[in-house]
Amino acid sequence: MTKQILAAIGIGVLLAVPYVTANPFYQHLLIMVLFWTLLGAAWNLLGGFAGQVSFGHATFLGVGAYTTMLLYLKLGWSPWLGLILGGLTGALIALPIGLICFRLRGPYFSLATLAVAEIVRLVALNWESLTAGPTGLLITHLPALNWFGSPVNWESKLPFYYIAVALTLVAMGATWFISRSRLGAYLLAIREDMDSAEAAGIDTTRAKVIALAVSAFIAGLAGGFYGLYFRYIDPDAVFSISMSVEMVFIAVVGGIATTAGPIVGAVFLVTIAEIFRERFQVGHLIFYGLLMMIVIRYMPEGIWGRVRNWLPGAKARS
Amino acid sequence: MATLIQTIVSGVLTGSLYAMIAVGLTIVFGVMRIINMAHGDMVMLGMFGAYWGYALWHLDPFVSALLWVPLMFVFGMGVQRLLLRKILPSGELNTLLYTAGLSLLIANLALFFWTGDYRTINLPYALAPARPFGISIPLPAAIAFAIAIVITAVLYLFLSRTDTGRAIRATAQNPDSAALMGVDVGRIDMITFGLGTALAGAAGVLLAPSLYLYPTVGEILVVKCFVIVVLGGLGSVPGAIAGGVLLGLVESLGAVYVSVPYKDTIGFVLFLLVLLFRPAGLFGVGRS
Repeated sequence: MTKQILAAIGIGVLLAVPYVTANPFYQHLLIMVLFWTLLGAAWNLLGGFAGQVSFGHATFLGVGAYTTMLLYLKLGWSPWLGLILGGLTGALIALPIGLICFRLRGPYFSLATLAVAEIVRLVALNWESLTAGPTGLLITHLPALNWFGSPVNWESKLPFYYIAVALTLVAMGATWFISRSRLGAYLLAIREDMDSAEAAGIDTTRAKVIALAVSAFIAGLAGGFYGLYFRYIDPDAVFSISMSVEMVFIAVVGGIATTAGPIVGAVFLVTIAEIFRERFQVGHLIFYGLLMMIVIRYMPEGIWGRVRNWLPGAKARS
Repeated sequence: MATLIQTIVSGVLTGSLYAMIAVGLTIVFGVMRIINMAHGDMVMLGMFGAYWGYALWHLDPFVSALLWVPLMFVFGMGVQRLLLRKILPSGELNTLLYTAGLSLLIANLALFFWTGDYRTINLPYALAPARPFGISIPLPAAIAFAIAIVITAVLYLFLSRTDTGRAIRATAQNPDSAALMGVDVGRIDMITFGLGTALAGAAGVLLAPSLYLYPTVGEILVVKCFVIVVLGGLGSVPGAIAGGVLLGLVESLGAVYVSVPYKDTIGFVLFLLVLLFRPAGLFGVGRS
């Protein structure tokens, strides 16, 4: 029960927050926290539950961002449809990538995803007829939209905030659902011991590819959102190694293989980083590195993983 | 023909330094089973060492190596002793994540203190390249190449001839048996990590006059390094040397005969193919 109450309180707070502060910096901060929650949750599905540490998730983020932006800029498709198509494209290219990389295990898988991500970044950088290369893509204005009869003001941050809330709830719902499904049990079995899982009759490649596709779908959505929110993308922003690495950190620091972990990780890391960036401009990832080292050393279950054990009812469950 | 020779020469020059970085990564992996994501940042520290030595004290980078390489050795030992030792038993994925954290920490501290500006070291003798047989060879690259060969050769002799070197190789083969034979594995781990870091730092110092330096340069270097050690076979020193020279050649030939923008892609594709079909490396000497 405690967790349902916590979740309800959480959603209530999320919806009420914009009424508390009108300061654009705080609103931006909240949007960034939600954006990174989304990415942390995406990574967590594969890296947390199935134990497959990907260092290449920026690929799906980038593909989602480029799909959304290109469909809008070149074909004039609604960005809101493009957002979902971005997620689907991410999931689609996850299939071949998964089939190749899942032939490898442990750290070798991680290195392979890193290589794939770099190949995709270099292609995006050089395929100028499609992606405009290093120049990037720019949206000057978003199409008008009516929400219950009143036009949406795209110049304010509020609409983006609510879109981010909706996407985050979808991602966390998907995580919650998968963690309770048969697929979730398969993934945990794969994480604990791949050979035993196979011996028990689990089609491990299939389970991992499905997890990767869902994960890539969420990352693709996040990518589309990134494009629309910042209205500008270029390959070195959305396909960079540091994007891939940062989402790993969010998920691991928050707590791997937990539903609420990514949001806890994002609240901690993004808040510290954005406040630091506001003051010093560079070096805001110092705390990412530091917290990662502390978490791995002292609480590998992550911040939320640790806090969760203090909640009433935790003992009975585990 | 002249273009081909020129391309091969510059490929080998770059490759020798790649090889040196990769040897550091591969011995650390061999002994401790750590894939050190922070290895590229150690190269970056070496580069900045050379830069500050030149900017503040007018020390020639190749002279300041005498200062930075031992310092990097001590730094590496300290990192192993104080930070990595406790993490080692918790498995390869945890050490991978931990060193990724270390990498981000080092790179961002550097970014914070030294800013993200691109810097160069302009050596007076770097302007006119040597031209033996009509091939253009930039002097700093040639000196770096010579020093890299000497360092690699010394390291090779150290590993194959000295007691400590033998203990390192024994630990790489089987830590438990090595411990039973009286090898202090904890001490060997520390020395190995120090050596790996010193090699990375040395390569950084040697590369500094030929490359732009900035705090996040380690990111791309460590990825190249992974490509090399996988090509050569993880844990194998001769494999890392061959892989380094091979990647140097592939990049330089690819830039001339395929396309400049896609030269880095060739290395990654090769890397994936080797990982998938020959996980023990091209020469079959690494551990899959």
